Amino acid sequence: MAATATTNASDALPTDGDQQATAYHMKTSAEGVALDIRDFNLWYGKAQALHDVNLPVQKGLVTALIGPSGCGKSTLLRSLNRMNDLIDELRVSGEVVVGGENIYRPSIDVIALRKRMGMVFQKPNPFAMSIFDNVIYPLRVDGVSNRAVLEEICERALRSAALWNEVKDRLKESALGLSGGQQQRLCIARGIAADPEVLLMDEPCSALDPIATAKIEELMAELKGHYTIVIVTHNMQQAARVSDNTAFMYLGRLIECGDTDTIFTNPQLKQTHDYVTGRFG
Amino acid sequence: MTDSSITMRTSADIPASGAAGLAGVAAKEAVAAKPGGKGGGRRVRSFTADVSAVGEPALWAFGGALALGIILIAGFLFMIFYNGMVTFWPKPIEVVTMRDGAVVAGEPTRSGTYRPGDNVLARMTEEQRDFVEENGGFSTRTLYRTANFDLYGDDFRWVSDFEVADVQQPTDFYFFERQEWGPFVGRVAGLVIDDAAIAYDSAIMQREQRAARARFAAIRGIEQGEIGRINYRLEQERLSIRRAQLRHGSGSAEALATAEAANARIAELNAEFAAQQQRVADIRTIDRRNRVILEEIGGRTKDTELSQIVRYYPANELSILDKIGIYFSRWGEFLTTEPREANTQGGVLPAIFGTVAMTLIMVVVVAPFGVVTALYLREYARQGRLVSIVRISVNNLAGVPSIVYGVFGLGFFAYTMGASIDQLFYPERLPSPTFGTGGILWASLTLALLTVPVVIVASEEALASVPRSMREGSLACGASKWQTIRYVVLPKAMPGIMTGLILAMARGAGEVAPLMLVGVVKLAPALPVDGFFPYIHLERSFMHLGFHIFDVGFQSRNSEAGKPMVFVTTLLLLALIVIMNSTAIYVRNRLKRKYASGQF
Repeated sequence: MAATATTNASDALPTDGDQQATAYHMKTSAEGVALDIRDFNLWYGKAQALHDVNLPVQKGLVTALIGPSGCGKSTLLRSLNRMNDLIDELRVSGEVVVGGENIYRPSIDVIALRKRMGMVFQKPNPFAMSIFDNVIYPLRVDGVSNRAVLEEICERALRSAALWNEVKDRLKESALGLSGGQQQRLCIARGIAADPEVLLMDEPCSALDPIATAKIEELMAELKGHYTIVIVTHNMQQAARVSDNTAFMYLGRLIECGDTDTIFTNPQLKQTHDYVTGRFG
Repeated sequence: MTDSSITMRTSADIPASGAAGLAGVAAKEAVAAKPGGKGGGRRVRSFTADVSAVGEPALWAFGGALALGIILIAGFLFMIFYNGMVTFWPKPIEVVTMRDGAVVAGEPTRSGTYRPGDNVLARMTEEQRDFVEENGGFSTRTLYRTANFDLYGDDFRWVSDFEVADVQQPTDFYFFERQEWGPFVGRVAGLVIDDAAIAYDSAIMQREQRAARARFAAIRGIEQGEIGRINYRLEQERLSIRRAQLRHGSGSAEALATAEAANARIAELNAEFAAQQQRVADIRTIDRRNRVILEEIGGRTKDTELSQIVRYYPANELSILDKIGIYFSRWGEFLTTEPREANTQGGVLPAIFGTVAMTLIMVVVVAPFGVVTALYLREYARQGRLVSIVRISVNNLAGVPSIVYGVFGLGFFAYTMGASIDQLFYPERLPSPTFGTGGILWASLTLALLTVPVVIVASEEALASVPRSMREGSLACGASKWQTIRYVVLPKAMPGIMTGLILAMARGAGEVAPLMLVGVVKLAPALPVDGFFPYIHLERSFMHLGFHIFDVGFQSRNSEAGKPMVFVTTLLLLALIVIMNSTAIYVRNRLKRKYASGQF
């Protein structure tokens, strides 16, 4: 677990002139910043979806993105491993710096970038293949074919995802036969199989029942420290439970970003306060 | 506005209607609780249904349309099935004596009504004329298969029922199936064994006929085996001479040397050929010494070699087991031998082979072609106006009349591509074409072209139905676009693609019109597969069940004789398509399971 301390980072960061400045009071990690989002703007065609987002994602911590539907949380998350590239007429400005290089530089190898980031989606999306093949998929596409290595990694990933005991006897069976919660944990196992630096989770529990949700939250608590986790969630209790830092977004802007406890108990801005207390509108 | 809303509220508030509704439900439950119960009044109610009250009056139209469709299809299938199945069942032979003393012998085929002309009416008695009058001018008649085409010049004869004096089923009448001239109906007048006339004895006849058929098979064996091989080698030698002439000039030393060597071998082969022909001639001599004298009902006789009798049976003396034996023996002959008598007799093995082979080659060609096209259109091409135009064009191609594909196939594949291949690889055979004419390869390619829109459309649908989340999942794992398609999209889409292939196969196997232009023939001299290098001869013309139906039913000298074969062949074609489709569906389901728990 990384050592953390609460500081006020707002004056160190640039602000937006015509918009109320984002309030920053984040926990910082001793290991530094895993992902630095700088002046990030994004347009779908003519519609601007993200406005001047600045967010230093702390290494080894869990950062939750909250906000009402359509506020740009998922768009921001998917910008971090360039999944938005699949959309036509997409335009961005600004930088996302990972390991010292801007991932929106034209010469970047997108496939290599995605290998450094695991991703878990809103709906469990296991492939129509065996459990084993699902978990080691990121390694297979990377060209790893040593059976022993693959088996070892598969076991490690499934253990990390707290799924090993449930599926160890049926690794050859179809992944589609698992329950929803198991499928989602399988997707997490797949996301961490290639040992990525960052794990991006897009509402990973929204399709799951409370018990499966609790398991995944436990899992996140175990994974943090080892991985940097960015999670988008609609469930504010979940954000409060699992995250170290919370970023509140509204209408494509980052409104307030800070230590989770502070955000939920004593937010600096009224908008944030209204949202987290459910008096939004 | 206000008024109506008030009215609505009032009507809703009337408790009576609600109570009535409840009572109605209660009554229905009561009836349902004891079906066939004794409650008189309620029971009557349960049999009446207010159609409009069911809520879906259109339901009856939908259901009716479905029922009509099913009845039509079932009726069609039943007709084909029934007519196809009864064709080979041996029928009795009836001897009909007419009022004027004439006799007719034959299998009763079918009866029907007709409107007799004045000259026919004149031959009737007063009573019969009144009877016809009463029936609105119609009389009845029966069609007899009299066979004996060589004697009568016709296979069938209508007999008006009013002319019939007597009908018998004599036991000494036989039904003979002959190698040539179609069947014969009549008695056996005598046997000639080793050129010595003897009286008819069924045991001797049976033994000698079997021996004669064995000799017939031996001759066929020599002709197709040894003589076929010699002919092939002779052709090769001639081609080698021609090749040498083309390569080195016709007067050059090399050409002359090759010609000399080849001619020496040709002389050898000719000697071998003569020897084999002598063997055949020897067997033929024995054949000619063993004959049967057939006598038709009118007393005329026909001296026939025993080897010409394919099958014979005493039609009126058969036990049920005999009949079953003949039935299956006829099916066996139908499925495993070559046709004879202008395709109206014998089997359809070459047509079965041609149909299956052509369909398989077509699938092998159309599957990669269609899937790759669909992959490009769906996964790689930028979706825009151009792709839309391409897609619409592909859909429209599915509606082009198939004969147009036939014309294109003949012009492009056979006359353009085939002619070029001949120029390049088979110059020594020119001017007789090798690939430059219709053949099984060109027919398969033409059908592939015809069915590729079906495959493209189905594959595109299948690819489009792979959820976006799966693709994203794969891409997020760091897979490239091709890896995503190869490992995630294609396996998931495979059952849908297979469905498209199955549809294409069904369409292709049933298509006839374009094939008539690009390689299907009435009677193919050889199968596209044989024992001579390169063993598979895709340039050869072939037979096809669909064309066989057309040919037998509408192109033969006697359409009545061909009619049963039309039904049998149709039944066989349907069965073949069902078998091929079931196999494909089985493979698809296996794939589904395999990819569901898939390995890489």
